[in-house]
Amino acid sequence: MRVKRLIVAGMCFLAVGCSPMGYSPPDDKGVLHLNFWNGFSGPDGATMERIVHQFNDEHPKIQVRMQIIPWGTYYDKVTLSLAFGGAPDVFVLHAQRVPEYATHGALAHIDRFVKEFGPEPSDFMPRQWQAGVVNGERFSIPLDCHPLGLYYNARLFREAGIVHPPTNEKEFEEDARRLTDPKKNRWGFVVTDFHLIGSTVFAQYGGGLMTEDLKKSALDDASSLDAVNRIIGWVKDGHICPKPDPGGAWGAFQTGRAAMAMQGIWMIDSIAHQEGLEAAAAPVPQFGPKPGVWASSHCLCMPAKLPENRQQAAYTFIKYLSDHSLDWAKAGQVPVRRSILTSKEFQALPIQREFAKQLPYVVYEPFSVSVNQCAGFADTAVEAAVQGVEPARETLQKAAQRVNRVLDLR
Amino acid sequence: MVAVMFLLPYLVLFTLFVLSPVAYGFWISLHNWHVLSTSAPFVGMRNYAGVVKDDRFWQSIVQTGYFVVLTVPAGNLLSLLLAVGLNQKFRGDAVYKVCFYLPVVTSVSVLAVTWRWLYARDIGILNYYLGVPVDWLNDPKLVMPSLALMSIWWGAGANMLIYLAALKAIPKEYLEAAELDGATPWRRFWRVSIPVMSPAILFCTVMSVIGASQVFGQSYILTGGGPADRSLTVSLYMYQMGFGQYQLGYACSVAYLLFLFVFVFSAAQFKLMARNFRAG
Repeated sequence: MRVKRLIVAGMCFLAVGCSPMGYSPPDDKGVLHLNFWNGFSGPDGATMERIVHQFNDEHPKIQVRMQIIPWGTYYDKVTLSLAFGGAPDVFVLHAQRVPEYATHGALAHIDRFVKEFGPEPSDFMPRQWQAGVVNGERFSIPLDCHPLGLYYNARLFREAGIVHPPTNEKEFEEDARRLTDPKKNRWGFVVTDFHLIGSTVFAQYGGGLMTEDLKKSALDDASSLDAVNRIIGWVKDGHICPKPDPGGAWGAFQTGRAAMAMQGIWMIDSIAHQEGLEAAAAPVPQFGPKPGVWASSHCLCMPAKLPENRQQAAYTFIKYLSDHSLDWAKAGQVPVRRSILTSKEFQALPIQREFAKQLPYVVYEPFSVSVNQCAGFADTAVEAAVQGVEPARETLQKAAQRVNRVLDLR
Repeated sequence: MVAVMFLLPYLVLFTLFVLSPVAYGFWISLHNWHVLSTSAPFVGMRNYAGVVKDDRFWQSIVQTGYFVVLTVPAGNLLSLLLAVGLNQKFRGDAVYKVCFYLPVVTSVSVLAVTWRWLYARDIGILNYYLGVPVDWLNDPKLVMPSLALMSIWWGAGANMLIYLAALKAIPKEYLEAAELDGATPWRRFWRVSIPVMSPAILFCTVMSVIGASQVFGQSYILTGGGPADRSLTVSLYMYQMGFGQYQLGYACSVAYLLFLFVFVFSAAQFKLMARNFRAG
């Protein structure tokens, strides 16, 4: 009997230990403490910390505690906290993750806050403002936009007599050819990331992971095959690009072995601290029939279960971050507010300014609840085709079948 | 009754932390359960049907099988050789024992990060000494052998200790009798030592097969399943489904299918090898 009681006691103890934490009310001085989670584990974290401090100084009744969790484990923690309790009051989701969380009812609607407190929607770039809207309802405010861009080694360009970075396929191949010397292990271009480059070229050719209505895969379209063949063309005979080695490619650009690389704006810090590297940035050239470039946004969200008084305070903080996104941009981000983009201060940031030119035509990953399940299929197909593991047509068809199976199950 | 009381503490913990999660896992596998969803509808065997229809699952099964084939025979042979070597009497054998055993007690994440540097194409020490830029982890044909090589090195020490204990346990009289009868060292090893050691060999190979079937850390850290899914193993596939895509029911059914495979294979192995050893 006693043992049984012990077991029951043990179970109760475990159950209590695992139960969701409640939200604490304001303390006896009337100060509300909010938790803010993000994955800014790089130098961007220090900038965000400064903005949070500034907010706390200006809002004595709301105090925000920020916790940085590296992106690698960030989504596990956020997801589990939303599912089983302990979720923060404000957190960051990448734009392509918002539909999944919103569809499962994990995020708070914020349309009414936007109407009542701002910011003014017309101040946002239209494409970026749509990030965070699911089935016509708004679940988040985009803080920034981080597109892919073309980084190039300005010294190598000068030495080769190239006056401006390439803007289209023809210039890109010509410049890359002039900058390549396989014997000296010098290359015009390196493939850094199959997902980012694949998504970008798909966007320019009109194919990609899903059709526009998000009902089926577009990977078996002729345009997707054209897009992959474009990348294969760069890699095939080693005339402009070495065999893709995504693990070492960025290092090749940093050390001057490669003259051009496509990477996200978040790499800005790693070039600033590289001695002897004279790096500059430009929009990604237009390889296909239409402009397009991969991008995502850090979207500020609140959990659905947040009590009303905390929602208001949390929204005050979200709006503050958006209003202060110029400070955020200086850490290596592109803001999405027109008033900030056109400001003199932002236009003085040489790399961010170039990346920002792409804002009108960036392409987000499909805003589908299944995108997280399917994105890997396209990446595997692009990698297999470019690395010569499988013929492009077959591997794209196989990937399309995988995507369609996931979409059909929904 | 007294025996039950003595067993109870273990049984309680075992039930709480092993048996009930195992049963709970099966229950989850019968539901369509996204970790965020508020309801998890019962779907019966539909998750299992989905897994069996997924070509990536079969690809991961084939690659895991390939990994087992690469690591188990070669790994056990190496362990046996090391054990035979250490069984010769020489000074400082303890130092060797420690060295060979050290990787076993090191965490796979530490080793994987170390081996990533060894395997690096342009700056790796392996390629430096080979003088050719071998693409150890990025070449679709080489990636599984590379992971197997690291795993053999990692695990050899564990089986080595068991083989060494088995060698030391061989009664001296058997070997002396064989020597008096004029058997060469090779024949003594083959005809006396190996048959006497057969329970140890059976144990080690079965355990290695089970261990290798669950390979996870190596591919998770070194390659993430790449290039182009060519090092996707069943455990990694299960992890991706459960913690990358939050499809808990689906991931649990992958776990149960893996269990089924390993169970059937181990049972067959036990039956076949035990019969052979008895005949030998």
